[in-house]
Amino acid sequence: MALKKLKLSGNLSVFILSGLILLSLQLMSSATQESSQLGEMYSWLLLMNAIGSVVLLWLVGANIYTLTKQLKKREAGSRLTTRMVSLFVVLALAPAAIVFYFSMQFLHQGIDSWFNVEIDRAMEDSLELSQASLDQRMRWHLKQTQQLASTLEFSPTNLLAPEIENLRELAGASEMTLFSQPGTIIVSSSNNPSDILPSLPDEHIWIQLRQQHTDYVALSPVRDDELMIRVIVKINGQEPLYLQALYPVPVRIADLADSVEFAFVRYQEMSFLRHSLKLSFSLALSLVLLMSLLAAIWVAFISIRHIIAPVKALVKGTQAVASGRYDQQLPVTAQDDLGFLVESFNEMTQRIARASYESRMAGFEVENQRAYLETILANLTAGVISFDTVFKIRTANQAAYRIFRIQVNQCIGYTLLELAKNVVELAEPLKSMQRFLELSDDIWEQRIAFLGPNGRQELLCRGTPLFAQDGARAGAVVVFDDVTDLIQAQKNAAWGEVARRLAHEIKNPLTPIQLSAERLQHKLADKLSEADAAILKRSTITIVQQVEAMKEMVDDFSEYAKPSKKQTVAIDLPVLVQEVLALYVLKSGVKFKANYEAGGGLLVTGDPVSIRQVLHNLIKNALEAIETQGLIEINLHRVQKNDTDFIEIALYDDGPGIKDGQIEKIFEPYVTTKAKGTGLGLAIVKKIIEEHGGAIWVDTQRKVGAGFIIQLPACNV
Amino acid sequence: MRVFVNYKTLWMLAWLVCWPPLPVRAECCAAQVKMAQLVREGPNYLLSADIDYQFSEKALAALQNGVPLFWELQIKIQQPRELLWSKTLAETSIRYRLQYHALLNMYRVKNESNGDVQNVSSLAAALDLMSTLRNFHILDNAGFAPAPATVLALKVDFDRNALPLPLRPLAYLSKQWYLSSDWTLWPLKN
Repeated sequence: MALKKLKLSGNLSVFILSGLILLSLQLMSSATQESSQLGEMYSWLLLMNAIGSVVLLWLVGANIYTLTKQLKKREAGSRLTTRMVSLFVVLALAPAAIVFYFSMQFLHQGIDSWFNVEIDRAMEDSLELSQASLDQRMRWHLKQTQQLASTLEFSPTNLLAPEIENLRELAGASEMTLFSQPGTIIVSSSNNPSDILPSLPDEHIWIQLRQQHTDYVALSPVRDDELMIRVIVKINGQEPLYLQALYPVPVRIADLADSVEFAFVRYQEMSFLRHSLKLSFSLALSLVLLMSLLAAIWVAFISIRHIIAPVKALVKGTQAVASGRYDQQLPVTAQDDLGFLVESFNEMTQRIARASYESRMAGFEVENQRAYLETILANLTAGVISFDTVFKIRTANQAAYRIFRIQVNQCIGYTLLELAKNVVELAEPLKSMQRFLELSDDIWEQRIAFLGPNGRQELLCRGTPLFAQDGARAGAVVVFDDVTDLIQAQKNAAWGEVARRLAHEIKNPLTPIQLSAERLQHKLADKLSEADAAILKRSTITIVQQVEAMKEMVDDFSEYAKPSKKQTVAIDLPVLVQEVLALYVLKSGVKFKANYEAGGGLLVTGDPVSIRQVLHNLIKNALEAIETQGLIEINLHRVQKNDTDFIEIALYDDGPGIKDGQIEKIFEPYVTTKAKGTGLGLAIVKKIIEEHGGAIWVDTQRKVGAGFIIQLPACNV
Repeated sequence: MRVFVNYKTLWMLAWLVCWPPLPVRAECCAAQVKMAQLVREGPNYLLSADIDYQFSEKALAALQNGVPLFWELQIKIQQPRELLWSKTLAETSIRYRLQYHALLNMYRVKNESNGDVQNVSSLAAALDLMSTLRNFHILDNAGFAPAPATVLALKVDFDRNALPLPLRPLAYLSKQWYLSSDWTLWPLKN
């Protein structure tokens, strides 16, 4: 509403100013007419128009300045405005200049055509003719007056009055006066009785008369501008007198002379004013053109700005849309084509805004879904790693990092082989996984075991190659789960079952077998011959020994099957090692050496009985290997793997060592190199260590004797 | 081909556009009030003044070509006041018209204030008529008590607005047409 009012007032001001300009120009034009009352205001009108031109010039200048600034700032619509204004100015200026040029030409030629040599000559001749005619009459009246004056030379003074009266009537003069030398009226006669005082010659005439001593004759307007021939003749006598006679010029001749004089003066004045007239008209015309052009340019600025406004708004709107502001709505100021364009723009921006909103919402939805999937993946216990076409890791979930204990930023963008170079501990499983990825074109499943930070770990890996919609290989995804605990549990359960059955099925019959054998010997020893009795005795002893051995074997087996981690306390390993070694120090021929850092905080969490059994089993194995003389060395120290602290127990002997073929199976039950062993010692050790979250392996780097390395998670108190 | 939009037109247009110009003064052509005297004779105050009229080349040419010229002798009796403009006690003017008659080869001086017309044969004589003012009645002394500071102010104003219309723009811009005098102040004599 306010905008509409503003526009209305703007239009009104344009109309008013245009009207004032036209009025002023019209007044100036009228003022140039000679008969106009405005003639006196001509100069003021000229000045007003000049001021109007200055105002218009200032307005146009201000508009040009504003437009230049807008152009420099590269504001929307400024270039189009410049182009339109330039076009308008050129279109307006060209015809105006042509019209102006020819108008000036016609004006100057028209004024020049008023004057020419022939008319000049004719005017001068006519004036000269009039003057000649009047001169002739003047000479005649002079001669007549001189004759009359001669008659007065000897007239007595008292008769002068009637004489003058007679002479005036005789000569046909309208007035006749006789002056004395200083100009005193002596006698006067007039045909008009109302004229009390005669027409007196002015001082210059007297001076002329006195100086030149000649008679005076001249045309002179007398009283009511009536043209008279004034003749003054000197009368010589005792006292010089002057006779003045005023002869009327015939009305017809006077009128003609007046007419000729008026025309001559008018023509002479016009001729004199010729250049001024040209200048004045040129000035007026130039002023009119200048004002018209300036007003037109100013109105053009306003009009073009009005026309450009929707285009400007459209450009700004487009820029806003380009910068992502889709809620741009432009005011529809007119119902023309541009208004339609603005409406279409508004509709378009509404649609874009709606589409953008929907797209954003869809994006949010996708993002939510992705976040949801990521959350699911992150919370999966199974590790998930996705690969691109060149088997570089694209994503990996938290479980993968948890299983491998590798920082996230170390994984993305690397291949598994590159990762394996950096993380030596995981080299084997990573290489295996890479191999399967490269070789398999279908879903594959594989168990991969490795010594991880928590000891021996077993992974169940499932790989699936990914294909794009066009069938091209898009990468792969590997899902793996740490099944170490599961397998261990399965093994434990299996061995537990075996132990339970052994106890039930084997151990139970052993006692009756032993008792029966002992009874047979007791009952039959006396009844048999000595030789048979000896056989029986040996057999019975054998049976009893074997039964005992079987019992021992079943007990060991039960021991193996039992869970080793019965209680969990912090164990100070140096103390425990010292306690265990104290039991074997007395063993002649064998030296024991324990190396550890005092106050090193070598604590582990676990069941002290089980850990003690581990040490016993290993030391016993070593002693059995050494047989007579040797050295058993136990080193304790803290190590760090994959950001986790471990206490490493390294036990070395200088015995014959372990054959290469047995290293892999040495920890399995019933694997032994000794004649007497049950083959469960190292299996139990391994079971206890693993149940404590540790790992044990054979130190293959050692070339002398055998070496076992145990790593147990450190207890950080 | 003649160029009709000559430099003069353009110059004048530029001058008009750049209005207002500085007041154009030309000492050479301005009239001068040589003497003025206000004398009390009985009940009347009578003015006598001598004025020197000057003609520029242009003004003389215009007169010789039949253009009538007008002067107005402005007369004021003023009493100066502190902090305020002077108080005008009496004011009158005499307007002269001077024109050349080609037929008679005479100059006509007309006092337009009282209608007196005088024809003289020379320009000098015509100027004498206009120059000399004797015993011109200004006011009677009824209720008029001039203060010591009261002054007689005279100015000869050449009426450029009475010139023919085409001459007027030039007359306003050209020093040749500045034939007016300044105000001159004369002390009163009792």
